[in-house]
Amino acid sequence: MTWVTVDRPTSEELDACVQCGLCLPVCPTFRLTGRETASPRGRLQAMSAIDSGIVPLDETFAGIIDFCLGCRACEPVCPGLVPYGRMLEGARAEIVSQVPGRKRLRKWLQGSAIPSRSVMRAGAGLLSLAQSLRLTGLAPKKYERIIGGARRLRGRPGSSIGHVGGSGEAGTVGLLSGCIQDQWFRPVNQAAIKLLEMAGHRVEAPSAQTCCGALAAHDGRAAEAHRMAATNVGAFRDYDIVVATGAGCSAHLAGYGHWDDDGEIVGEVSVDITVAVARAIEDGRLPALDTPRGEMAIQDPCHLRHAQGVTLEPRRILEAAGYKVVETDEVAFCCGAAGLYSTLQPEASAQLGNQKADQIRSTGVTRVASANPGCEMQLRSYLEDNYEIAHPIEWYLAALVEELEGGITSE
Amino acid sequence: MTLLSDLRQALGNENVLEEPLELYIYSKDASLMRGEATFVVFPQSAEQVATVVQIAASHNVPIVARGAGTGLTAGASPTEGGIVMVTTALNSLEIDSDNRTAWVGAGVINLDLSTAAAPFGLHFAPDPSSQSACTIGGNVANNSGGAHTLAEGSTTSHVLGLEVVLADGEIVVLGGQAPDSPGLDVKGLIVGSEGTLGIVTRALVRLLPIEPEVRTLLLDFPTVEEAVATVTEIIAAGMIPAALELMDQRMTTAVEKWLHAGLPIDAAAVLLAEVVGERESVESEASQIGEIGRANGARDVQVATTEEHRALLWKGRKSAFGAMAQLAPDYYLHDAVVPRTKLVETMRAIYEIADRYELTLLNVFHAGDGNVHPLIAFDASEPGINERVHKAGDEIVSACLRVGGALSGEHGIGLEKRDLMRMAFTEIDLDAQARLKEVFDPTGLFNPKKVLPDGSRCFDFGGVRREVPEGAWV
Repeated sequence: MTWVTVDRPTSEELDACVQCGLCLPVCPTFRLTGRETASPRGRLQAMSAIDSGIVPLDETFAGIIDFCLGCRACEPVCPGLVPYGRMLEGARAEIVSQVPGRKRLRKWLQGSAIPSRSVMRAGAGLLSLAQSLRLTGLAPKKYERIIGGARRLRGRPGSSIGHVGGSGEAGTVGLLSGCIQDQWFRPVNQAAIKLLEMAGHRVEAPSAQTCCGALAAHDGRAAEAHRMAATNVGAFRDYDIVVATGAGCSAHLAGYGHWDDDGEIVGEVSVDITVAVARAIEDGRLPALDTPRGEMAIQDPCHLRHAQGVTLEPRRILEAAGYKVVETDEVAFCCGAAGLYSTLQPEASAQLGNQKADQIRSTGVTRVASANPGCEMQLRSYLEDNYEIAHPIEWYLAALVEELEGGITSE
Repeated sequence: MTLLSDLRQALGNENVLEEPLELYIYSKDASLMRGEATFVVFPQSAEQVATVVQIAASHNVPIVARGAGTGLTAGASPTEGGIVMVTTALNSLEIDSDNRTAWVGAGVINLDLSTAAAPFGLHFAPDPSSQSACTIGGNVANNSGGAHTLAEGSTTSHVLGLEVVLADGEIVVLGGQAPDSPGLDVKGLIVGSEGTLGIVTRALVRLLPIEPEVRTLLLDFPTVEEAVATVTEIIAAGMIPAALELMDQRMTTAVEKWLHAGLPIDAAAVLLAEVVGERESVESEASQIGEIGRANGARDVQVATTEEHRALLWKGRKSAFGAMAQLAPDYYLHDAVVPRTKLVETMRAIYEIADRYELTLLNVFHAGDGNVHPLIAFDASEPGINERVHKAGDEIVSACLRVGGALSGEHGIGLEKRDLMRMAFTEIDLDAQARLKEVFDPTGLFNPKKVLPDGSRCFDFGGVRREVPEGAWV
């Protein structure tokens, strides 16, 4: 037996690739290296070689699979409908099971620490203190991009977990508060609650929820990913809509069918917050503002654009806020954040981070919208301090508040 | 010194792959045939390519050049072992907009060239379906065509010069800016030679102006015959549209399932037609094509109204091969060319052959130039199926040749179609080609056993050079 876990890439999935090669040009790591071994087709060939027992599952295989960002840019261009992201998670699960001594710290971080509320709370406290004392430069080099790209945490609002409110004529939303999102990006969750309630939803962020499990799944910590999916299916199965405020989280919820027997129940009703807000604007449940607010550069998170095919919604939200949206990257290459990729593959991550920052600089626009926490941190760490980066719904809410206050003063 | 240490010394450790899994990944292109690479190398310059050629010669090891590995005939599969030489690092690009030419590294992606030329109002005309991935080196090697070959010709019409590494490691430049180089057209020999005569490291290509107006039409037909008849009549009416592409129902259905472009999946065949030029001529040709289509039974004639819609229709056409994966894990493909006037009977014969062998066959092809692409979808793990597929393939080719067709329009011969060369050429033809190959590659290390079938050389008894005086008529 070449594979040992239930999550392994299956022969049926592997058969879906006819090696046409149309995925190569959209793959950031292939573009960086020009190597088949760093392309989706090459990685699928590697999985096939394991599947048919031609080579053993060893460090070489792990190296090839680990170099993948998991951005899933290959999926929308694949006419064979190869479920690449799913297979990548399966291959990583196999690596963790079979290759001894794989990066323990990472296992701890993604499997246990990040999903744990108490560890995350302690971490956020430490970071907040370090930021106040200007000590973030002392962070280990490995984590400098994450620490350096984090938002200022001092004075942040409270956690959204346990929140209940809103009228509910537009249906009840179960809000996934997230792990990193709940500690480091609370303003995004608070903006989501405000907007969803304004749009007529009842919003509940059940206390029984946990981290969505995306980081664990991407990293091959399959057991944890299954456990977290099961917990969240329990917490969210009765909601009309389930909303996540990070693109990585909403993409993972949409694929819950792979992680839990009842996963489809949640997966089918899950949407990214940008989708929920854009729908409300379209239905007239949230206003579209007329006041022009200038230009806004947009960055498409891979797990929103490639994994979920969501591109129009964040643009509609920004337009409804009065911004003229400026495109930054026609093909939407990954920014190099990709979970903890910046710590694991710092060189490739830096090349992609710089590339993305250059694209944004070349627009001359210093306001940037990004709908995913990892991307936002990566952009902040590669762009200068005068760039303002926030989630599209934060830009929209800020515009609403400004309009409202403006209205009050003029009366 | 071992081969590995020589290669490492010449290219650096990071540019030589040796792990079994890495070699496996480079053991095939987009065709069905897998070889076995001895090593994979990534030369960073023409000089390094030359060094590798010399190293290979000193160790008597074959070299197979490879770009993006999107070839469909095993041209880049190392089926005789040896070094797989990947050209992706040869990615220089110098556009000379005044002369409308560009020197392009072999590893530059076809579409990247057109994208880079677009600000100058120029583009590179050959547009294989794999143009978003395939490289210029591969286009030159296979004399690649594409949907727009109908009006603009295949790669050879667009190559003015080539930088080539010869078998002794010499780097030569063939051709140049002048439209017609004096002397024999040696550059013309290299184009389409599939890496069997030398390794192309750079190409000087012609760039064409981007057309001022484009109209893309989608016509749908209740039968394949009516679609094909429309094609014949459009050309007979004196028009040369930029492209005339046909997809049959099975293919349209597979593409639509992925693309959601609103393709008419209930039509037996759809015809994608494109006309380019000045506004007036474009509009008149577009309406003429619509009329011819309707007169031949088209149920509907759609004209792409936006650039997005046009791009979507082309995306559907160009992703067709990949969409085959939805039907079966493997596909076998021919790209024979038949005279346009024989398309109706050829199509009928092709479907009949597939039915007789009980195989699933789809068609998506360059109808305008009679370049058919019958694809057989199958599962290679099914016992006995490979033989049936190949037999049906041989019959299809023979049906095409019988009506005056050619073996390959644009994909090359490689290994998959090598043995069918005997159907298309006499022994004397093959001998002449084999002698040409010997001139360029006396030791036979460049992509061995590709293109020309074993025994192409007359009196070729197990590699012994024949004992006939030079110049004797054989």
